[in-house]
Amino acid sequence: MIAVNPIGALVAAAIVFAVVATLWWMLHPPISKVQEIARDAETELERMVGSIIVVFSENIASQHMMALAAKLAKGERSELLAIYVVSVPYSLPPDAEMTDEERRALDALGAAQAIAAKADISLRTETVKARSTKQAVLDIAKRERANLIVLGSFREGKYTGAPLSRTIEEIAAEAKCDVIIGVEGKHGNLLADQVGFEQIEQGEKAP
Amino acid sequence: MPDQHQPELKRSVTPWGSFSWGYSDVGADIFVGLGLVLGAAAGASNVAFLFAGIVYVCIGLAYTELAATYPVAGGGQYFVMRGLGDFLGFIAGWAVLLDFTIDVTLFAWSCVDYLSEVVPVLLNPIHPWVHFIAVFGLIAGLCLLNVLGVRESTTFNGVVSALDVISETSILFFGFLFAFRPELLVHTMTTQWPSTFNLMLGASYAIISFVGLESISQAAQETQRPASIIPRTSIALILTILIYALAYSNLALGMVPWHQVPLDAMGHAQTLWQWLGNNDNNGKAVALLAKDVPYFGALAALYVPILGAILLLISSNSGVFGSSRIAYAMANAKLLPSIFQRVHRRFRTPAISIIAFCAIAVVELIFAAWPSLDPGAAAFYAKFFHGEGGIGFLGDLYAFGAATSYSFVFLALIALRMNDPLSPRKFRIPLNIPLTYKGERVLFPVIGVLGFIGILSILVFTIITHDLGRIAGPAWLILGFIIFVIYRRNKGLPVFGSAPHDWRHEQIGILRDAGELELMDEYLARLKEREPARIAEVG
Repeated sequence: MIAVNPIGALVAAAIVFAVVATLWWMLHPPISKVQEIARDAETELERMVGSIIVVFSENIASQHMMALAAKLAKGERSELLAIYVVSVPYSLPPDAEMTDEERRALDALGAAQAIAAKADISLRTETVKARSTKQAVLDIAKRERANLIVLGSFREGKYTGAPLSRTIEEIAAEAKCDVIIGVEGKHGNLLADQVGFEQIEQGEKAP
Repeated sequence: MPDQHQPELKRSVTPWGSFSWGYSDVGADIFVGLGLVLGAAAGASNVAFLFAGIVYVCIGLAYTELAATYPVAGGGQYFVMRGLGDFLGFIAGWAVLLDFTIDVTLFAWSCVDYLSEVVPVLLNPIHPWVHFIAVFGLIAGLCLLNVLGVRESTTFNGVVSALDVISETSILFFGFLFAFRPELLVHTMTTQWPSTFNLMLGASYAIISFVGLESISQAAQETQRPASIIPRTSIALILTILIYALAYSNLALGMVPWHQVPLDAMGHAQTLWQWLGNNDNNGKAVALLAKDVPYFGALAALYVPILGAILLLISSNSGVFGSSRIAYAMANAKLLPSIFQRVHRRFRTPAISIIAFCAIAVVELIFAAWPSLDPGAAAFYAKFFHGEGGIGFLGDLYAFGAATSYSFVFLALIALRMNDPLSPRKFRIPLNIPLTYKGERVLFPVIGVLGFIGILSILVFTIITHDLGRIAGPAWLILGFIIFVIYRRNKGLPVFGSAPHDWRHEQIGILRDAGELELMDEYLARLKEREPARIAEVG
């Protein structure tokens, strides 16, 4: 039978405590200013991207932004919803058939599904008919409790330097969550993507 | 500092990675050191470890301050070159190279000793040729792997280190809990106190249980935020190893073994520590001690020899790539011929360096194994070297190389405090005397002086007590000196002076590359305060 000596037991406990405490202290160094900024940004990103809505419409081509949102969603395990807003003019009833526009919605959301599949994330899609694109986006954002709206953009005058579309500006101004807008810069190439998208819409092969 | 046109090392080593780089080197030392110290210092083994441990703490603090201030690859050699000039930088680097080559042989040797616990045919006293061939095979294998560019990953090091920390802590915990008797420790210390000569011998062996802190500095250039992380990992490593060394030595002297200790070669009864410290067992003392811990020993007997062998093999490998790495850094600093910088076209590894230093390791192996392979050599060693050989010979050289390079590192610490007070020190050794030197307010490190005296005394102990070490160690330095003189003369560089260096410009680059931007700002602000014109030029 082995007898435990009290001094031996004390030393044994002290060794374990000293080793564990030393290693714990080592593994918890103070963070630098740069790391603090990075940590805050990461926390903010986690908050931002809990639920993401990607917006498409006749004028808003968001394929490139969809690819970006897919990458964000994959990294942060966000919920992702792609919507296509079919704008119904006041001259037609709210549930009027918009064959061409609905066909374009199928293409856009199909492409969004393909991007999501490639990124190995799940995506919900929805086509919405509305009088106002802005209001439809804001309503869905509210319903989904979205943290982030992602959308492409276009300029009113279709030339670099023109103001952004009013719809885009209003969404950004009135949304209760963060908004990321893909805007082409002076030497940017977002429009090039948009051209490709238009070609897809027109049933042509993308270059 | 890396050349602007060469790819820089990626900073991917985390705090645990940095710790395990050091641990896989230093952590293995106790596997070798414990038996040697018990054999030499007997009942004062814990005192020998305590003395060496205090010196080691000073060394550790010096390395921590220097590696955090100058986070570049090169370690001790770089600090000494920067503080004391090219010639002494070369001597320190050459002594470190000796340690790395010994590292290869000593740990490969001990690895085979640990494996012999599970594969008895490897037992050195019974099958010396098999043991020799196995150690030679390990060295040749590691050489080949390193030439081909296969290295163990930081992750693998990290996992083995974690397992070993858990294992060693468990051995000590259960050992002290179930088998430690304080009265036995006191009895052993009072009745088995060694002669002064043996105590000095023990202290000089004890220092080898603490060699390898260099590895953390070597990896400084790959460590994330080195100025902040390295002080933590170094201090944690110092404390962990110190706890283990002191605990193992006290446990070995005061432990009641679970099993009967075998009789000695003459058929006399012997105590546990005598059995662990004899020539047949001193290469695998930790495995034997673990086996004799009540209850836990049954489990430890199964895995400690294997885990010990893996850790020792990693340590041996760190000697192979450490020597080629430091030779590369020395060639880069024009302290060694550029042949050591040459990279193999196909494998992209410094093949010449690797093969050269592995060949030296094999020569050391031959000297160590000779007496056990040839009775004539055994008689020669017995007559001229007190029968020293085997692991004792390797331990001699290891202690000599470490004590020499560490002595210069202390001097470099003092010199850099005096001559480079402007470099921000994220970690500063405590206990300093404020002085004014060349118009600058400097802090003179008292611990640097105490540490220097401590390590110098260990160097003296080594020279006094090691018959082979006092010949082979200085012979190594003389060989290096000849190579250095020939090389520097051929290159038209001063032998005892230094080639021109722009340290301030280099320091800004070091801090920027290390990602220590706040420290870089601090350094620039200090320079600007003193030399506005100069900083405009550097900036």
